Amino acid sequence: MAQLVAIDNKNHLNLKVDAAKAELHGAGLHLVPAVMSEFTNMAVQYPLVITKNADTGQFVVAAMLGFESGENLFWQAGQWQGLYLPLQIRRQPFFVGNPEHNKAQAESGDYVVCFDSESPAVTSNEGQALFTEDGADTEYFQQAKYCLAQLLEGELANKQLLEQLERLQLLQVMQMEVTFANQQSTTLNGLYTIDTEKLAALSSENISSLHKAGLLQAIYTLITSLGQIHHLIDLKNKQLGC
Amino acid sequence: MNKLTKKVVIVGGGIAGWLTAGRLAAKHKGNTKQGLNVVLIESANIPAVGVGEGTWPTMRSTLRALGISETDFIRECEASFKQGAKFAKWFDGTEDDFYYHPLVLPQGFGKTDLAAHWLAKQAQTKQKNSHVNSFSNDVCFQEAICEQGLAPKTIRHAEFADVANYAYHLDSAKFAVFLQKHCQEKLGVTHIVDDVIGVNSIDTEADNPTEKGDIISVSTEHNGDIGGELFVDCTGFSSLLLGKHYQVPFKKCDDILFIDTALAVQVPYESVDSPIASHTISTGQEAGWIWDIGLQHRRGVGYVYSSKHSTEAEARAKLAEYVGDKFSSLKVRKIPIVSGHRETFWQNNCVAVGLSAGFLEPLEASALVMVELAAQMISEQLPASREVMDVVAKRFNETALYRWDRIIDFLKLHYILSERTEPFWSDNRDPTTIPQSLQDLMTEWQYRAPADHDFTSNNEVFPAASYQYVLYGMGFKSDYCHTPYAIDDRDFADGQFKKNKVLIDKALSSLPSNRELLDKIKSYGLSRI
Repeated sequence: MAQLVAIDNKNHLNLKVDAAKAELHGAGLHLVPAVMSEFTNMAVQYPLVITKNADTGQFVVAAMLGFESGENLFWQAGQWQGLYLPLQIRRQPFFVGNPEHNKAQAESGDYVVCFDSESPAVTSNEGQALFTEDGADTEYFQQAKYCLAQLLEGELANKQLLEQLERLQLLQVMQMEVTFANQQSTTLNGLYTIDTEKLAALSSENISSLHKAGLLQAIYTLITSLGQIHHLIDLKNKQLGC
Repeated sequence: MNKLTKKVVIVGGGIAGWLTAGRLAAKHKGNTKQGLNVVLIESANIPAVGVGEGTWPTMRSTLRALGISETDFIRECEASFKQGAKFAKWFDGTEDDFYYHPLVLPQGFGKTDLAAHWLAKQAQTKQKNSHVNSFSNDVCFQEAICEQGLAPKTIRHAEFADVANYAYHLDSAKFAVFLQKHCQEKLGVTHIVDDVIGVNSIDTEADNPTEKGDIISVSTEHNGDIGGELFVDCTGFSSLLLGKHYQVPFKKCDDILFIDTALAVQVPYESVDSPIASHTISTGQEAGWIWDIGLQHRRGVGYVYSSKHSTEAEARAKLAEYVGDKFSSLKVRKIPIVSGHRETFWQNNCVAVGLSAGFLEPLEASALVMVELAAQMISEQLPASREVMDVVAKRFNETALYRWDRIIDFLKLHYILSERTEPFWSDNRDPTTIPQSLQDLMTEWQYRAPADHDFTSNNEVFPAASYQYVLYGMGFKSDYCHTPYAIDDRDFADGQFKKNKVLIDKALSSLPSNRELLDKIKSYGLSRI
């Protein structure tokens, strides 16, 4: 469990982060949340699927990295082997404090940046400093904050995308049984994808409104990325030694 | 003249009226020009009786047929999930005396006679008291879910999807308002708030003799005469059209089912996170039984009893004992129950749905399901013209009568195997009070378990599995010693018993509490898929 601590330049003037170790957070993830702005980068290697948050049942978009819980086929030899490191991993060990917990902040619209004190990337000697000696943000910390901002914006964009997909009833249950080279097979459950037939049958008004909202490209990227399932099967087969 | 059915007039709001209006309008495109014109006249002065806070799983298909979102329904009707009924103190009245009538069929039902295997195992272990092992727990995974207060699904399941079959508990007053809004806004039902003061029918020789006695219109206080081709009587106990106008006799069944009075209270929860039972609890009492239904915001509790076997003061005392300290501050509503139904339900161009057709004690939540079944049948078989109306009416009457008889049999079954000794219970066992049809089945079931072929109509209300749950829950033994080959498939049956255990473990580790899921649905909603 992440232990979130609000960052300030007095208590954390000497805090250092080993950015290379941030990747460790993704070592055992078979699904990593993805925001719309990174769909194109993701689709180059990872299948993008829609699944439901276990706690809320709300739809979320995620890159699929493995076939079962704990399996990340892009994690090999202690390193992330994918070309693109998802924002959700890159952001580690930084989080945005939940403004719901603090009314004053929620009203002012200011967010509090926190770090996960349990993260392996947090050190006190090696790595990047967050603050200069006089307490200003370092370039590294500015980048980290930018990363968090992208995630926040991305969540809003995702919400809009998923709402439109639900409204236009473009989501369908994705049923897939995958057989690996060793004849072992697995059934993928709890995944959803775009109903391409319904998409093709949308009225021009609806298509146009999706396009104007900047969602059409994202929808097609989601569809195209599913071809990467074959890439994932290939990785699994190689791992199985077949 | 062969009159086409263009307009249906429903007299009476309430759940019966709005469900019938909704099913008709949804099926026959009431919101389009070519579609059926559905009008509902509701008095502002007559409060709905609000019978039935428990439904059957059929309510899920009814809501779907009306195009209602399950999330909206749960949010607006204080609804909670119901996974069957727990019958406590029905057998001998002791503290650990209970059994379940779950909504999930016995494991492997239809593939093996698991009841036969279960009975054989019971005989082997030679347990004197059959209540040590629960039939419903051994053959079905739902009892364990209910005992733990868990929901039948998770927040990740789609609307109407499930892990275990479920129905609802709902606030009937809120449900009626919810249905009204949906029927008016989405389905194009016309709502007229007015009092019906007269019924106008063809009393002289009509051009077409079959139309003699047909209702032409109902007169209202402020909106004049409202005409139509079919009239639906949803006027509750007053049965304005079928009972008062047509004088169709009421067939009492108080010689079979003795309960004639209900005392009902609404019990607040201790706190906002008190558990919500995901089943109806029915607890046997000296002269009847107490229902206990958990909604989101309160419990509905009531004692239904036979006034021949208990005074009102005694009944109040029993209810007070059950409810506890809070009782003195609660308002007790007394509701008379006249068990029975009309001799026919569809007369000329008028059909009764709901309390105007009949009512029985709420033991198996039969009130709302009978409304649903009637509304579905009327909408699916809506006579296209006056020419076919009598044909449809005949079939409707036969089906409805059959259903009432089966429900009466099934309710009576709950009482006849009890070993309780109070007069109410011993009177219930008197063979002269048991319908012949039930006695015949009991004779057969001495040698085998209830099976689907015992119930040959395709309009059955209770499946054979329900009879099994009650029979073996109450300790009945079917003796298979003349047909030992019935348990030849022992390996398969053992597999089913094991599978049931696996399903129990899986359900207990993955399902949220009933309260937790309802809270999540209020916050996040269930998705359509």
